[in-house]
Order: sequence, then structure tokens, then C-alpha cells
Amino acid sequence: MRTRRPIELLPLVAPVHILIIGVIVLPALHVAWLSLSQSSFGQAPSYVGLENYLRVLADPAFRRALWNTVAIVVVAVHAELLLGLMLALLFASGLPFRRLLLVCTLAPYAVSEVIAVVSWRYLFDPDAGPVTQLLAALGLPVLDWSFEPLHAMILVALLTIWLHLPFTFIILYAARLSIPVDLYEAARIDGARPLQAFRRVTLPLLGPAIVVALLFRYIFAFRIFSEVWLLTGGGPARTTEVVAVYLYREGFSFNAFGTAAATAWIMVLASLVLAAGYVALLRRQVNAHAH
Amino acid sequence: MRTDRLLIGLGKGLAVALLLVWSLVPIAFVVVSSFKPGRDIFAVPARYRFTPTLDHYGALWGRWWVFVEGLWNSTLVTAGATALAVAASTCAGYVYSRNAGRMLGASLLFLIVVRLIPPIVITLPLFPIINALQVNDTHLVLVVLYATFFVSLGTVLMRTFIDQIPRELDEAAQIDGAGRLAILRRVIVPLAAPGILAVAVFVVVFAWNEFLFAFIFTGTRTKTAPLVISEMIGSIDGVDWGILFAASTVQLAPVLIFVIVMNRYLVAGLTAGATKG
Repeated sequence: MRTRRPIELLPLVAPVHILIIGVIVLPALHVAWLSLSQSSFGQAPSYVGLENYLRVLADPAFRRALWNTVAIVVVAVHAELLLGLMLALLFASGLPFRRLLLVCTLAPYAVSEVIAVVSWRYLFDPDAGPVTQLLAALGLPVLDWSFEPLHAMILVALLTIWLHLPFTFIILYAARLSIPVDLYEAARIDGARPLQAFRRVTLPLLGPAIVVALLFRYIFAFRIFSEVWLLTGGGPARTTEVVAVYLYREGFSFNAFGTAAATAWIMVLASLVLAAGYVALLRRQVNAHAH
Repeated sequence: MRTDRLLIGLGKGLAVALLLVWSLVPIAFVVVSSFKPGRDIFAVPARYRFTPTLDHYGALWGRWWVFVEGLWNSTLVTAGATALAVAASTCAGYVYSRNAGRMLGASLLFLIVVRLIPPIVITLPLFPIINALQVNDTHLVLVVLYATFFVSLGTVLMRTFIDQIPRELDEAAQIDGAGRLAILRRVIVPLAAPGILAVAVFVVVFAWNEFLFAFIFTGTRTKTAPLVISEMIGSIDGVDWGILFAASTVQLAPVLIFVIVMNRYLVAGLTAGATKG
């Protein structure tokens, strides 16, 4: 029902906007203000400019956390993309029991981070985990993740890939299915071999879906918290912290609200920069939608 | 030519086998181990033949009553968050589908962008506010938080699904004298049911599994099941893996079955959500 009086529509859109503004926007702005002031429990905040940001950026623990986060994002998200692409092509090539296999592939989507940590902790238990035993039996190196920070990071990355591969796969598979069969037919008639068809038809037409999947996963992987918190707690000696864990420690363990808030806004800015790319892509669609 | 086919078939078979191992083994180990006698869980070499037992479930029921309460809390919070998110998203999605304008377009982009702010950011200021409002350790906190982080996606999804309902139906109902709310309830909601289910799948899975907000904002009265399980991992010096697996299985089973049953809506929702906004 079209209307000339937009005010009539307000009651219907208001609940969503009240939730978003009240729960996310205003608190985020409050955090911005906190990040420019110094405060702790029972202490009136005083304005200190960018001091918190400088302190955070100079903190070796933060740098370590940032480096860990970026490493996990880069490794996990690109591995997800590669695996998701391979899976999409595998499914598109025609499989028996397609729906059943699709459901199996989606299964990790239903699993809580907490349960995933329970499972992977057990599988990779350094003493007697089934995967550790298998690796040892094959003469392969095992993950000593409770002592070796690098090994812990590898386990976190594996866990992240496992939890989020269904998302990346579905985005790419849906995009692959929407490529018209005629194009492959035409490529075949023109004498294109399968690899050429992939490079000239599939890859270019999957482009937008690949970018969307990547941006989404960059943004969501950057906030990783639970997997690390439950697996290592950031230890040993803060070597496996990620940015969100650093934020939690500053804010809730050390009550250093200023530096925690500065960390939070660094996360917001990183997310918004990535979101800008996403919005640029979306704008076309939103405009196309405006009849 | 025939050997080519055979090789391709073999390659595909191998890929599918690897896929199944990767996707299902971590889940299967949790479920199967919950029925293993305690001494077999960490047997070296790993033991795959054992006499199934329900001991861990008995111990979970007897010694971890807090987990049963956690399941109840999770159920309440999930139901509340889903109802709130679905209702708010359907109303807003209807408006965004049937109307256009610069303000509306901008406000939709606003919803989409704000949703990308990491949840942990807002925990800092919300903590004192929740205390001041005296709603700390109530289900309401998690209901509102969980719903909020899905109303943007929900609105976009509902808009996409409602777009597919012919406008002529609205107009016919309007000529019959139906008001906007009546049209929404009698025409849109029944026809947009797949969209509503897609939104519901997202919120249910998120709310049932969420850890961070539950960790920060719940106290003794409203701990959710994932939080209780996380305390099992951390609290005991030697983790009692049998009980841990039993609790994990109980937490996982309903949401896994839900996702399997609703897989079509999940796929439709993921696809529409990512490509349409």
C-alpha cells in the first residue's frame, strides 16, 4: 500500500530502529566518548583526547592480539573461500544424494562455538585425542596447542574454518547455480575445455558472490572471541589473545574502560572500513530496487 | 574415455568422503563419546567398540541440575528473541518492500551497516546501564540483545520475500476496506511464511548457541546452556569428559535436528541475506 504520508509508516518501522539505535548505535557512541576519556569503576570520566588510542597501539599485548587476529582472519577466511569454491563446483558438477550431502555439509552451522571447542579440544587432546593418536601413528607432527602459541592459533583457525565453511559454501553454490547453463553450452560449442570454461565463465560470474562472501567473513572473523577464550583463554602469557579477548581483559578484568573503549573503536573502524566495500556493492542493488 | 569417467567418479567419491569426514566426525565424536564408559573415552589406542552406557546422562541429571535450568533459560530466551525479531522484521520488511524513497533507502543501509559493528563493543556501556535499569540477570536482556542483532538481516530478508508477493493482492484487500495492519496480517504474513521461517532459523540458531553476551550479562538465575557447558570445561580441574559430552549432545541435538529439517529455509535465507543486503 503506497502512501503520501510517510508518517503513517513510522509505527511499522519504529521497532526495528528503536532496537538498533537503543542497543547498538547509542552504546557505540557512548564507547566512542569513553575511548576519549579516562575512567574506571566509581570514577568520573575525564577527557584525555587520543591518549587511550596511543596507549593501546603502543601496548605489546595489543599488537600481539592484532597480529593474531589478522593472521586468523587471513588464513581462515581464504581457506574457507578456497574450500567453499571447490565444494560449490563439486556440488554443481552433479552428485547423487545431493540434498543429503548438502545437509551434511551444513551441519556445522548448527553447532555452538562452545560445543565445537569441546569437540576439537577432545580430538586434538595432546595426550590421547583421537586425531593426535592418528597423526602420531602416521608419523606426522601433532599439535601441542596448550603450550605452543602457534599450534593454538592453527587449532583456532581450523575450528573457525569448520564452523563457517557452510556459510561461504552456500553463498558460492547459490551463485554458481544461478549461472545459466546456456553459457557453458556456448563455451563448449566454441571449443572451450573445462578449465577454460571455469576461467572464462564460472570465475568472472562468481566474482560478486566471492567479494560478498569475503567481506562478510572478514568482518565476522575479525570479532572472533569465544573460540579463543574457551580454547586457550588467551594464554600462555597472553600469547594467543585476539583483539576481542584483549578488549575483554582490559574492560572486565582490569577495569581499564578507556583503553577497552579505544580497542572497541578500533574494532568498529576496522569493521566499517570493510563494510564500506560491502555497501558500495549493495548500493546498486538498493537503487535498482527503488522502482 | 571410459577410464576418464572412472577417474572423475573416483575423484568425486574421494572428495565426498573427505567432506563427510570433515563435517560429521567432530559432531559424531561428541555424540558417540557421550555413551562411552568413562575409561574408554581417552583410551590409547582409541577404542571404537564399547558397551554403550547412559551413566553420563544420569550424572548430568543428578549432579548438574544447573544445566537443566540452563536448557530452560535457553528455551525461554530463544523463544522470546525469535518472536521479537520476527515480528519487528516482518513489519519493517513490509514497509521497505512496498514503499520507496530516499529516506527509506538510507535508513535500510543504516540498518545493514550498524549490524556489522562487533557485539563485544557494546558490552562495555551496556553493563552499567543494565544495572541501572535493574534488569540485570533477567531473560529480557538476552532477548533484546539477540533480537537486535538479527532485525537488520530479518528486515532485509522479509523485504526480499515480500517483494515476491504481488502488489495486486494488497490493492484488492485495500479496496475491500482492509487497513494496513489487516493487510499485513491476512495477506502478507501467510504468503511470506517462508521468509518468516528463514528469519526464525537464523535467530533460533544464534540465540540457542550464543556465548559472548550470555557470558557477560547472565548471573546465577539466567545462565544459558552453552554458558553452563563452558563452565564445565573450565571449572573442574580434571574435566569430566563423559558429563561434558552428554551435556553437549543434549544442547546440540535439538538445534541440529532443527537445521536439518529447516535446511531449505536456511539456504534461502543465507542466499537472499548476503546478496540482497
